[in-house]
Parts: sequence; structure tokens; C-alpha cells
Amino acid sequence: MAEHVILFTGPMGAGKTTAIQNLSEIEVVSTEANNSERHIVDKATTTVALDYGEITIDGEEKVRLYGIPGQKRFDFMWAILKKRAEGMVLLVNNDAPDPIQEMLNFIDDFRELYDRGGVVVGVSRSDVGTGPSLASYSEALERANPGMVIPVFTVDPRDGDQMQDVLLALIVNIEMRAAFGAMMARSV
Amino acid sequence: MTIDAKDLPRESPSVSMGFPVTVGWTHAAMAINSSLRLGTAVNLTMHVEMHGPLLIDFKNHAFSWSTPLELFPVDAVHTGLETSPTVEDGPPFFELPGEDLDGLLWVMGINSFGGARAYWLPEGERYQLTRWPNLTRHNHTMRQMQMIAVLGNTSATTKELATVVGVEESEAQSLVNALSLMGVLYRSTAEPEMAIVKPTAAAKRKSLFGRLLKRLGR
Amino acid sequence: MSPGLHTKPAVVKAATSLLDEMKSVASSLNYAALLTDDGFDVARLPGQIDGARFAGMASSMQALGDAVAHELKIGTSEYIIIASGKGYVVQLRVPGQELVLSALFDNDATIGSALAISRSYAQKMADLLK
Repeated sequence: MAEHVILFTGPMGAGKTTAIQNLSEIEVVSTEANNSERHIVDKATTTVALDYGEITIDGEEKVRLYGIPGQKRFDFMWAILKKRAEGMVLLVNNDAPDPIQEMLNFIDDFRELYDRGGVVVGVSRSDVGTGPSLASYSEALERANPGMVIPVFTVDPRDGDQMQDVLLALIVNIEMRAAFGAMMARSV
Repeated sequence: MTIDAKDLPRESPSVSMGFPVTVGWTHAAMAINSSLRLGTAVNLTMHVEMHGPLLIDFKNHAFSWSTPLELFPVDAVHTGLETSPTVEDGPPFFELPGEDLDGLLWVMGINSFGGARAYWLPEGERYQLTRWPNLTRHNHTMRQMQMIAVLGNTSATTKELATVVGVEESEAQSLVNALSLMGVLYRSTAEPEMAIVKPTAAAKRKSLFGRLLKRLGR
Repeated sequence: MSPGLHTKPAVVKAATSLLDEMKSVASSLNYAALLTDDGFDVARLPGQIDGARFAGMASSMQALGDAVAHELKIGTSEYIIIASGKGYVVQLRVPGQELVLSALFDNDATIGSALAISRSYAQKMADLLK
């Protein structure tokens, strides 16, 4: 059976668990604990090991969706999960104090995925009206890795159609990177 | 309808652009493309029959229109267009934030020129993406998503783009028009020709994207 | 909920002296920590171990144990044991609290005795917090 592991990364409170719940066809396996950092992100519970959901294709191929715990103190879980991953959906909260820097930090931690085009950035809570514009996320990514065009979308993790778009964009970008990435490297 | 300059308030001299009554969005796209590329601070008002005035504030990259983009009238009748100069700290043209102009540019670009090359694009160029459009906010097809991913990873002519994704060249051209209007394409000369080939049936079977699309019913 | 137990000095002090007592009665105990469900160190015995990192790992393990028990419909996980060539890790929740006791014993202990002493100290911690 073929499997494809897709990670949902990003800081606490960006909507990773919700996104997986909206995409998964099985009841999501979650590892929530009461959040004792409500002064940082005001939500009742937080993921401490992983979330797990899946989408089965033709009964024999699985897209496995893993959500990571967002806090740095759980980065040993990041190392475990990224070994098998083909790509990641990086969710950031637009009304966090410095969401662009948070995005760049996660990209550093998941460099291997980024380098092969396996990243889509989803900016949540952008409707609140504060926070950087979408273009400034793209510009920061371009500065960090010139020549690489990473999809950046505004997302509502509660919206299943939007999360499907995000997942599909990730997969098609990985495939096109694999097909043409080498060619582009030659032409530069 | 064109508005005579003497009818307008003196501090905001508007210029009607000799805009003919037209059906569809080609002329509108051309006018907007000129305003965007000129880079001078202007506001623009478009009169669209039955759909009220469409106001564009280029400085804030925003528009305001009573018609929601989900109900975008492809065959709209345009009856007039004016530009009015503004200054950096001028009063807002309408209540901000308004709507993101990219959404309008996307749908207008897709629905103008009838699948032919936009007039501002010279013949014989390749295109490469500089930034993904915000697809979760724009009504799009999966083939458009696929073409965008191609342009994000290589540079291609519209013909090559159409071949890779397996669509009519006019469909690829409409997408290129829209991306170009949005200012997210890097253009270069088409020479030398590149060996972009149509994906084989085996490659298509290997594509998780294709299978997942089917599975999700998209 | 109220802020985590790791932020309450009285709890940290009581937990630290409880772990000291546990060490004094169990010579095979090499390391022990009390940590919150969401991975914060409340108290730990001194040692070569990175306490903050271990607290994160132990809380993940606890949550995975609970998730597996839930998935298999066998109630909630009572304790987790990792047995290896050089010792055992015994881990269990402090009854009624969002707090986990994780203890490392060397091979001088049997699994049974390691489990018994860990259970008894988890209960003592629960009594202290009542």
C-alpha cells in the first residue's frame, strides 16, 4: 500500500488540528492536553504529541495527515514526523505578534521539505484586519530562498473546501517541482 | 456615458478615457493594466450597466462594488470609465479596506480577450510565476491550479503550458492574461525552445494530484 | 483553567521534596520528574537529563498512551512502562490531576517494585494537592 505523509506545522493556535479534522475521512486521533499557556494563546487544549487523520484513495493508497505540536519544546516530535513526510502545510496566525518570523522559523526547522518545494503556507485569521499582508509573506520567503515560489494562501482552517485547495496545491507543487525543478536550476 | 469635466468637483478633476460602450471586460482590463503599469496615483470609476459603479483605489490595491465577484457578469455592458488623480495622503476613494483588488484582476483577466493574448503581452515570450495568486479567495479550476504550479517551477510559453497540462491553448492564455494583469509573472524571451513534453499516460497514473482530485470529487 | 502547576511555587516546592523522599526510599531510582499534561517540568531530581526536553517527551508519550487506549476502547491508560537493557521508565498520571510522574529505575529494581513505588508516590502527590 502506498502512503503519502503530509504534515501540518506551525505555532500553537494556528488551526492545525481543525484543518486535519476537516480533511480526514476517519475520526482524528488526537493527543490534546489542557493548555497551561493561555496567556500566550487563549485556547483550552493543545496538541502534545500528534494529530492523525487520513484520506484513502481507491482503497489502497493513503494520504496520512499528521499535525505536529506547535511549541518548540516538542521538537523531538517534529524530528520523528518529518522523517517520513513528503510535504507540509505550514499554518500561521496572522494576528500573532510576529507571524512572518514564526513562518521563517518553521521553514528552518523543516528545511528538507522546503528545499524540494514541499511547503504551502496558509495564513489564518487574516480577516481580523490586523497583521501583515499576504504579499509580505511571499516577499519574506523569496528573500529567504530566491527563485523558489512557495504558494501562500489565506485560509480558514474550518473551511473544508479551502483546506482541500491547500492540500491539492501542495501536492501539485511537489509534483511540478520534481518534474521541472532540475530544468529550472539549469536555466538560472 | 462619459462625464463632462465641468460637472465634477474642481479639486478632483476626472478624466474620461474616451471609453466606448463595450460588452465584456477586454477594454476594462486594458484600462486597468495601463493604470497599474503607469504607477501614478489614480482612482478609477467604471460604469457597468445594471451593476452599479465599480470603484478602484490603486494606491490601496482595493476595489468597491455592489456586485459580489461570485456573481461576476461576464458579458457586462460597460458604459463609461473615468480616472481621477489622487495624492499619497489623499482622502480614501471609498471606505477602506474594501475588497482586495487581486480578486477582481483575477476574474477580469480570465474573462477578457476571449482566450486570445492580452494586447499588452508581446508575442513569443515565456512566463514564470513570481508569486502564487491567493487561490482560496479566487474562484478557480484545478487545471488553473496545475498550470500555476507549472509556472511556479519552470518558465513556459502558453503553448508549452497548454501541452503540459493538456488544455486548449486559449485556456492557458486566459490564465497567463490574468496572472499578468495581477503582476505576478516574470516574462522572458521564448528562445531557446525547451523540450517540454506532454506527460505520458504512465506519468499521469503516477500523479497523486490526479488521483486525489478524483477522490475528493473536485 | 488556572495556570499550570509548574507556575505555582508551593506546588513546585512540595513536588520537589516528594521526589527527594522517593529517591531516599528507592536506591534504584535514577531520575524522576513531575510534569504537566502539556509538557512543563514541575519538579525533577538532579541528573544529566535535559529536564525541559524530557518533560515534553513524557507528556507526548502519556498522550499517545491515552490515544491508543481510547482507540482500542480499553479505558484510559493507567501506566506506561519502557523496559530496556539498562533499566525501566515507569510513567503514570497523578490521580485526579493534570500531572504526570515519570521515573527511571536501574536494573536493580524489578518492574513490579518500580511500579509499586511509582504508584505510591503518584498517590502521595495527589493527596498533597487535595
